[in-house]
Amino acid sequence: MAKVLMIHPDKCTGCHNCELACSFEHEGQFRPAASRVQAYTWEREGMTVPMMCQQCDDAACVKVCPTGAMHRSAIRANLVDWNEQVCIRCKMCTVACPFGNARYDAASSSIFKCDTCQGAPECVAFCPSGALEFVDDEQQVRSRKKAYAAKFREAFQEVS
Amino acid sequence: MFGWAGTILRVDLTKGTITREATDPKLARDYLGARGLGGHIVRSEVDPQTDALGPDNKLVFAPGPFTGTFAPSAGRFNVVTKGPLNGVLAASNSGGSFGPELKYAGYDALVIEGKAAKPVYLWIRDGEVEIRDAAALWGHNTADTTDLVRAETDEDAKVSCIGPAGERQALLACVMNEMHRAAGRTGVGAVMGSKNLKAIAVSGSGAVKVADPVAFKAAVMKARKMIQAHPVGGAGLKAYGTDVLVNILNQVGALPTRNYQDGYFPTADKTGGESLAAKQLVRPKGCFSCIISCGRVTKVDNPAYAGYGEGPEYESAWGFGADCGIDDLDAITKANFLCNEYGIDTISLGSTIACAMELFERGFITAKDTDGLQLTFGNTAAMVEMARKASTGEGFGEKLAQGSYRLAESYGHPELSMTCKKQEMPAYDPRGVQGIGLNYATNNRGGDHVRGYTIAIEVLQNGAVMDPHVTEGKAELDITFQNLTGALDSSGACLFSTFGIGGAELAEMLSALTGVDYTLDEFMRIGERIWNQEKLWNLKAGYTKADDTLPVRLLKDPIKTGPSKGEVNHLDQMLPEYYRLRGWDEDGVPTKAKLKELAL
Amino acid sequence: MTVKYFATIRTYTGEAARRIDDAPVDLRELLETLAGRYGTSFRRAVFEGGELSPEIIILVNGRNVLYLEGLETPLAADDEVSIFPMVAGG
Repeated sequence: MAKVLMIHPDKCTGCHNCELACSFEHEGQFRPAASRVQAYTWEREGMTVPMMCQQCDDAACVKVCPTGAMHRSAIRANLVDWNEQVCIRCKMCTVACPFGNARYDAASSSIFKCDTCQGAPECVAFCPSGALEFVDDEQQVRSRKKAYAAKFREAFQEVS
Repeated sequence: MFGWAGTILRVDLTKGTITREATDPKLARDYLGARGLGGHIVRSEVDPQTDALGPDNKLVFAPGPFTGTFAPSAGRFNVVTKGPLNGVLAASNSGGSFGPELKYAGYDALVIEGKAAKPVYLWIRDGEVEIRDAAALWGHNTADTTDLVRAETDEDAKVSCIGPAGERQALLACVMNEMHRAAGRTGVGAVMGSKNLKAIAVSGSGAVKVADPVAFKAAVMKARKMIQAHPVGGAGLKAYGTDVLVNILNQVGALPTRNYQDGYFPTADKTGGESLAAKQLVRPKGCFSCIISCGRVTKVDNPAYAGYGEGPEYESAWGFGADCGIDDLDAITKANFLCNEYGIDTISLGSTIACAMELFERGFITAKDTDGLQLTFGNTAAMVEMARKASTGEGFGEKLAQGSYRLAESYGHPELSMTCKKQEMPAYDPRGVQGIGLNYATNNRGGDHVRGYTIAIEVLQNGAVMDPHVTEGKAELDITFQNLTGALDSSGACLFSTFGIGGAELAEMLSALTGVDYTLDEFMRIGERIWNQEKLWNLKAGYTKADDTLPVRLLKDPIKTGPSKGEVNHLDQMLPEYYRLRGWDEDGVPTKAKLKELAL
Repeated sequence: MTVKYFATIRTYTGEAARRIDDAPVDLRELLETLAGRYGTSFRRAVFEGGELSPEIIILVNGRNVLYLEGLETPLAADDEVSIFPMVAGG
């Protein structure tokens, strides 16, 4: 059983608590530029979507990394981990990730990529809306699927 | 510095110069930020007799120490200036994301001085500040302005701007940020327009630092839990928005109806939060760091009033609704969208249209004055058309855009303007709720609810209950709310966090954040200081005890129908005690002893 | 008498209002009758440990029952009772 950091953009209210929690956890201060999760807002639509590393099984960042700094963790399931020690900051991972979820931060000379905070992601703890969920892979879409299933329950209850 | 960013940015638009100064730690400690610190700057540097729309007025954008942190629902900023609507020390509060971005760019306050020769906008990227030509922006609504500015600066820049109403220096003009959030009242948008400043774009890559990260996080987690456990902060506001208040105010008989001619509107339910959720709500929205999400993303399908945007809030739904005798929520929401786009205060405009409707029905103005429109209560199409005209400045609309006081006075009937100190009263009838009437009358910026929101106790049962029909104990209640809110507004927190936490939790978080040891007493004293600071300004601006009053209608004409039928407001039973408890003399002037106590 | 429901209470009752022909003697009796009709979610919203829930606001003819007689507030045939969850705004 592996945990997945699941995103529910339909529940996002655009509060950016995830960015604040992430930067605070990693740096002890509030610098959303340092957050590994970024929530993008489209004001006209009133819609916000948070984005972070999806811990790809077949990760492009791992493939291109010359030193093995980007690697699938042997310790924790479903995690692409970053080894700060062997990283040469070539930034090939940032070029390779098709989602833009790895970035180079000059201020701290690091690669910023979600590390799920040792298995207790702070963004999930701080999201007030349930837009971010750290959930067993088996139950990853349960809330969404069930919400729609409930509509059938209502419909059929009236008839039967 | 911890909490505070450490720098105040000054832009002189006359000279085109940009200067920086260090934030004075003592001032920051004693005035916090936002309303308090901004107010101190304006009070120190602007003469209360100055022309509010002249180059010597100053316009301050100031976040608070909480702004930019994850203190729950605490990402606010204030626009502080001499208010052109009524000459007070105006401070209009807004949410969204603009305030936090100012902090990340490194600023506790942005002070705008002078006047640009031609329309300009400011582009602030951390320490780099440019004054840029805004000719291509002038004339655009606030949403388009936001997109246009971002195209020239950074696509993720946070933008605060005026619409055409502010450009025209309409006295009800507001400043909008993130397209849908407003620093609404007292005409602060007109000041921005008078300086030829169309917009401010900010992008910040810096950090807000914390003195004691462990203690701060613990205090924040505790505060979050309290808000989330509260039925309102934790669920109610997200489900129904502020518009949920329509029905409860109506059911206690204190929903001002048809320009305060009555306090009960039989079809009010059609305009309330329940109806909004059923018919128009797309999704809830939260400001930066907010856990409450009272914002409404809304859509109107009815082709007559079609649109997509945010709101209406309770006040807006009332102003264009019951106050105008209107129960068509689609029309109300359309009027709200127009105000957001053109940058005009919904509370004051709704109330001004209502005033015009009463003038019309009484025959003091006719269709000749109102561009041929039958401006009667309940005429939905006329209301929306007048909201549009006030937004664009066409015909009679331009008169409406200056507020009901000047409107009613120009036709010889100032008694029909439902204002205190020339600012329109919000959506609570003081005849049905005694304490809010005392707040309207004594409020430093005139008709205002948020700075002394006694409704929380008198109607909403938030932690305590007081009978809205009695005057006993209301002076003390008002003072407590006014003081607490003075500090809260200056910290960057949102008023709605008080549906869950109080001054003690705010002081605890503030102490851990800033490293300054704030007790609850100290926090309240800061609020009291800020209240007195604004009062001192008003005295110099010419306001006297005679202005601490309510429209005669509310003192003499009882509510006609509904559960508060027969009631009037008994201000005279509350005001003397209010002055006494505040440590002011019988004329409402702060005594020397009180000022010394507050270090003013 | 008329009973009106607001905000989340409407989701428990499935309606916005109800006319009651046999006026109950007091508020407690009214709420017991309604709880019997609407079920557990309504009951839990209005009662807490046999007393009035602190998170409910009940008005009789516009007056909060907390400064009338609470659950013992007497009711008359032409009264209007409004039931709200705690709500707020600005």
